[in-house]
Amino acid sequence: MDKNRVSADQLALMYFLLIAGGKFLTLPSILAGDVGHDSWLVLCFSFLWDGICLAFLLWAIKINVNARLDIADILNNSVSRPVGIALFAIFFVIFVLRADILLSSCFKMFSVTFDVSTNWIVFALPFAALAFFAIGRGFNAIARTSQLLFGLIALSVVALLVSPLTQTDFAELLPIGQAGWGTIVKTSFTRSFWFSDYIFIYFVLDGIKVKKHLYLPVFTAFFAGAALTVLLNAVFVALFGHLAPNFDLAMSKIGIFSVASTANGRWDWLTLSVWLISVIIKIIVYIFCAYKCIEKIFGANFVKINWFAAAFVTATLAVPLFVNTDGLLNTVIKWGLIPFAVVQYALPLLMPLFTRTAIDKTEARYE
Amino acid sequence: MNKSWFDKLQTLYFGEDDFRVREINCGLPLRAVCLDTMCDDAKVSNFVLQPLAYIKRAKTVYDVQSKIAVGTGVHKVPNFYAAVSDFTNGYTLVFDEYNGCIAIDTRTVTGRSVIEPPTSMVMRGPREGFVEDVKVNITLLRKRLKTPNFKTVNLTVGKYTNTAVCVCYIDGIAQKKIVNDIVQRIDAIKIDGVLDSSYLARYLDVHKTFVFRRVGVTEKPDIAVGKMLEGRVAVIVDGSPMVLTLPYLFVEDVQSPGDYYENSAMTTLSRVLRFVSVIASVLLPALYVCLQTYNYQIIPLRFLITVLNASEAIPFSPLTEMLLVLIVFDILREANLRMPSAVGISLSLVGAIVLGDAAVQAGLLGAPAVMIGALSGIGLFTLPDNTLILSLLRLIVTLVGGLMGLLGVTLSTLCVIIYLASMQDYKTPFLAPFAPDIPEDRQDAVTQISVPSMTERPHSVPNTNKKRRG
Repeated sequence: MDKNRVSADQLALMYFLLIAGGKFLTLPSILAGDVGHDSWLVLCFSFLWDGICLAFLLWAIKINVNARLDIADILNNSVSRPVGIALFAIFFVIFVLRADILLSSCFKMFSVTFDVSTNWIVFALPFAALAFFAIGRGFNAIARTSQLLFGLIALSVVALLVSPLTQTDFAELLPIGQAGWGTIVKTSFTRSFWFSDYIFIYFVLDGIKVKKHLYLPVFTAFFAGAALTVLLNAVFVALFGHLAPNFDLAMSKIGIFSVASTANGRWDWLTLSVWLISVIIKIIVYIFCAYKCIEKIFGANFVKINWFAAAFVTATLAVPLFVNTDGLLNTVIKWGLIPFAVVQYALPLLMPLFTRTAIDKTEARYE
Repeated sequence: MNKSWFDKLQTLYFGEDDFRVREINCGLPLRAVCLDTMCDDAKVSNFVLQPLAYIKRAKTVYDVQSKIAVGTGVHKVPNFYAAVSDFTNGYTLVFDEYNGCIAIDTRTVTGRSVIEPPTSMVMRGPREGFVEDVKVNITLLRKRLKTPNFKTVNLTVGKYTNTAVCVCYIDGIAQKKIVNDIVQRIDAIKIDGVLDSSYLARYLDVHKTFVFRRVGVTEKPDIAVGKMLEGRVAVIVDGSPMVLTLPYLFVEDVQSPGDYYENSAMTTLSRVLRFVSVIASVLLPALYVCLQTYNYQIIPLRFLITVLNASEAIPFSPLTEMLLVLIVFDILREANLRMPSAVGISLSLVGAIVLGDAAVQAGLLGAPAVMIGALSGIGLFTLPDNTLILSLLRLIVTLVGGLMGLLGVTLSTLCVIIYLASMQDYKTPFLAPFAPDIPEDRQDAVTQISVPSMTERPHSVPNTNKKRRG
């Protein structure tokens, strides 16, 4: 059994969970702080870039279906190994940072929303253990888990949204483009760290099983995830207006509207916990990809799990213990924006070309 | 000079009272040997001694083989190892002076008759159950599969027990690669003895997971045949009424022997109930503990007041209280299993009513905790084959939930799902048809469509013929 083999459907569902997983935590308030009630437009632009890049990446997958080259094969045979190593290093930083920031948001969510205060180590250790365990079970197991829980998570998001949606006055979003279109487009670039969730696909390129359709399920997932994110963001800024930047955790604030009174209990917390599974899955996927980066950087193909590498990667979840994540995020945006954009936006556009070149070179070698 | 096979056999069984030898002259001196305790006297007399008495001019023992016209089980023995194996299984061996040997089937039939299996009672449907005799069990399968495509592969396992194992499948439906894989795995087993099919189940579990059952078990021939008709392979072990079926899916746990004899809507309802009760029985104690300890705001106010009133005087924390209830429940269940049925009922009464009520009256345990524990315990029994593992699972989830709250419950549940999703034996994903999603197989997973509408065999289980009527 190939532990990293995934079907197009599993890829699509996982992509949906990854889109929905991390964008309902701190991002809405950050965007509201940047551009006010036009934050949903920032999301639209960001998803537009994402959609274009995703199309190119899927094209590369189509080219690679029979050859089944992995990302290291493609980069080594097209842009040389040193460049490939540099790109993997950037990927590694992105994955680790994203996982850490997500985990930090989860920590806030539990301490603020659920009133459960604990220290970081006790909080992060089970996540690290779960991620470590998931690396051992393979990407296929994570994909199947996403597939199994997709319905439940989607239902929880809908349950959380329905009630606030009925109370939202969308007129609050007018006038459209008040922050200025230039600022909106610029913000969509400066906050790009939160987007391009498709980058995990690079690391399962060789394992994607395409039977009938690829574009249809993946793009359906993309459009559904994007629409849901934009809608939730619009509801959030429309509901809270000028106060929106002050509410760190959008999902937990929106959830308040789904309960009638204390007499009925905070049932939304249960749905919130179900939705949090998508955040946990996202963290696991990023940690898995970070592990894969190490594999590629060292040019090794770990047939069996390298426990030292896995332990090292999962240990990076402890970074927020030493560094303030908000400060880290600002530093990242300041220094890492361009290198990150290379792998997030430039690389997907070039992937079909790189894949074709790599396949040609590999075939020529065998002939 | 080399010893003859007869001499070797006599040396091996020297001093054994049930070692019987008869010397007969059929034109050449022959020796008939058998183990008295393993053979049927009438068969020895009718199928061996009487025919031999009428044969006059045999040149070798193989002449005798062609002239014995009574009884069906007569075969030539190729080597000494096979001779010992046949001998210990109840065959009578006939030796000539040139090391020629034939084996005549004189096995005694001892064992219980075919009755309704106590572990798989049904309201409607066949009531026959497998017994300990491998031959009878194969007969029960053949009675239902009157086709030359029903194939068997006979093997022997166990250094000392020489247990007969029979791998059964339907040629043209089961995938040959899987049959061969199973045969090879059984053939490679090095073990002193096989006393039950559960011994083999551990060897047939490819990833040696042990935690969850990875091999199907049934005591009913109709169920075994049903599974074989879907492409599965059945493994019958002599001495065990439990027949193994492979490959195995998690969803089979939710299915019951009577499901196919009831209305499909009723079956669906029962399966959904089983499924929900299992999830609830594993998660309910954990949710109760973590809601009471950390996230009590989730509980509706009036319900919360009731719970708090009932548990305010309890000297234990919610976690300790619930763990106590669950452990006591497990002890009662374990004791009940090992008690004679008459005493078992008294034990249940003492445990459930006296002990539970006394603990609540004494203020040691809260009534809600006892109720949740009991509710969860009853739920476990909807999957009787997995009660132990589910019970262990709920203890772990409760412990983690009690220590970490909702996050703990979420993480531990996710961990179990990832573990289950990663399992795949004999090219069959354990969580199919849900993860991976196989839409064609949802017709008979938790929900069930009517039997006439099931036109295809499951895609989750590898088979060579997808059409049920093709």
